Amino acid sequence: MLSNVKEYFRPKTVEEAFEMMEADREHSIFLSGGTIVALMGSSRIERIIDLKSLRLDSVSIKEDEIVVGATTTVEAFRKDPLMRKEFGDFFYDSFSLVGSWQIRNMATIGGSIAPKLGWSDVSACLLATGAGLMVYGPDGYRRIMLSDYFALPAGEKPLITHIIIKKDGWVSAFEKFSKTTFDIATVNVAISVRPERGRIKAARVVCGSRPQYPMRFETIENALEELEINDVMPSIVRSLVFDNFTGGSNMLASFEYRKHLASVMAQKAAEKIKEMVR
Amino acid sequence: MKIDFKVNGRDYSLEVREDMRLLDFLREELKLTGTKEGCGEGECGACTVIIDGKAVNSCLVLVPEIDGREVITVEGLERDGRLHPLQESFIEKGAVQCGFCTPGMLMSAKALLDGNADPSDEEIMEAIEGNLCRCTGYYKIVQAIRDAAGKLRNGKA
Ligand SMILES: Cc1cc2nc3c(=O)[nH]c(=O)nc-3n(C[C@H](O)[C@H](O)[C@H](O)COP(=O)(O)OP(=O)(O)OC[C@H]3O[C@@H](n4cnc5c(N)ncnc54)[C@H](O)[C@@H]3O)c2cc1C
Ligand code: FES
Ligand code: FES
Repeated sequence: MLSNVKEYFRPKTVEEAFEMMEADREHSIFLSGGTIVALMGSSRIERIIDLKSLRLDSVSIKEDEIVVGATTTVEAFRKDPLMRKEFGDFFYDSFSLVGSWQIRNMATIGGSIAPKLGWSDVSACLLATGAGLMVYGPDGYRRIMLSDYFALPAGEKPLITHIIIKKDGWVSAFEKFSKTTFDIATVNVAISVRPERGRIKAARVVCGSRPQYPMRFETIENALEELEINDVMPSIVRSLVFDNFTGGSNMLASFEYRKHLASVMAQKAAEKIKEMVR
Repeated sequence: MKIDFKVNGRDYSLEVREDMRLLDFLREELKLTGTKEGCGEGECGACTVIIDGKAVNSCLVLVPEIDGREVITVEGLERDGRLHPLQESFIEKGAVQCGFCTPGMLMSAKALLDGNADPSDEEIMEAIEGNLCRCTGYYKIVQAIRDAAGKLRNGKA
């Protein structure tokens, strides 16, 4: 539990929030949904910067992109009519597996991405949709790919303001293996493909809870190009994931167990995609 | 720091600790001990309260977060000494054994019924998915929520 907090700020603008952080980064933390912050057992944190007054909690459409405010809760996001219209059941179903109803009412999309959690179902699904981020740092606003955000050096911690998802006609599916319904993933897999005349024109294959943060597997993606979407496609996906999976062991699972599970989850996701495309 | 908020319909304006959990604040400062602590980390739902209409785990909320907002706890369910239909149905259907999960269950159920007067069993189960019960096996809890929904629809509130 936090025990040494002396100041609690509610900035009204992104610039103000970032300045407050820069003023004393070592002793400060942003709070969005607060589900991680409230559980921190740290006496280092003396200043909390609550992002909820930034009014970044809506989902909107700009030309061919969906723009999601970083403090939008997971539950509001998955049930947003715009998300359902543009992405069907993908986010609605996938994010129903995030924690419990209470957790989803609190945890936000930005707060799920920012700490680069290995198990985040939110990050895995967004990576598979090729999502980008609008972030604010010392040089102002810039747009980066979510995959590049994960690769930022540890000391570089911009404020995420928006998540941007293209509506580009890709078809996506998600599978998660966990011990109980709302436990974190032992392994999760998200796959998106761009189908064209019954074949995969391009693919994004993401494995998460490896246990490191979710990652795209380009070797697999390249191997899937031009593959026919037929009954054998899911078992090919399974073999490719089994042969190319990289990750490690932790208390949830050994590397070998994870690799096996990841290949099975990938096959299941590919089955779903096959049904959707047909 | 000073914050303004509402709990169970009553307005408060109080000095609070910046790092105190809402759960502890309710129990220790406001003496509303109906809200329980099971796990203290978002896993069991015993601490569920409703903030601005949404069911949340009060063990994961810091008190300053409720500034300007409205909280309902299990103590806010009864009206003029009369139990809420959900409380009545939990008793009538045998949905309470040791009772430790009950306050949290009731608050998740209330948040559900406030937004959905006629939920399916699947919707009921989704609403209480974050509330663990070690005693009842859940069946009677689902029955009780369905029963209370019927009472509320028929105006027996
Ligand atoms: C019991 C439990 C079960 C869970 N199960 C799952 C699950 O199954 N799947 C899953 O995906 N997740 C799950 N989660 C949610 C997940 O683990 C995190 O708790 C949640 O995603 C954090 O979101 P938040 O908005 O509450 O973040 P916060 O606690 O507010 O913040 C988290 C971190 O990110 C930083 N931060 C927040 N917002 C920003 C921003 N906009 N820019 C820069 N930095 C920021 C904060 O400073 C902090 O360091 C679970 C959580 C709990 C407690
Ligand atoms: S005490 Fe809050 S979820 Fe268990
Ligand atoms: S009645 Fe005992 S835990 Fe639910």
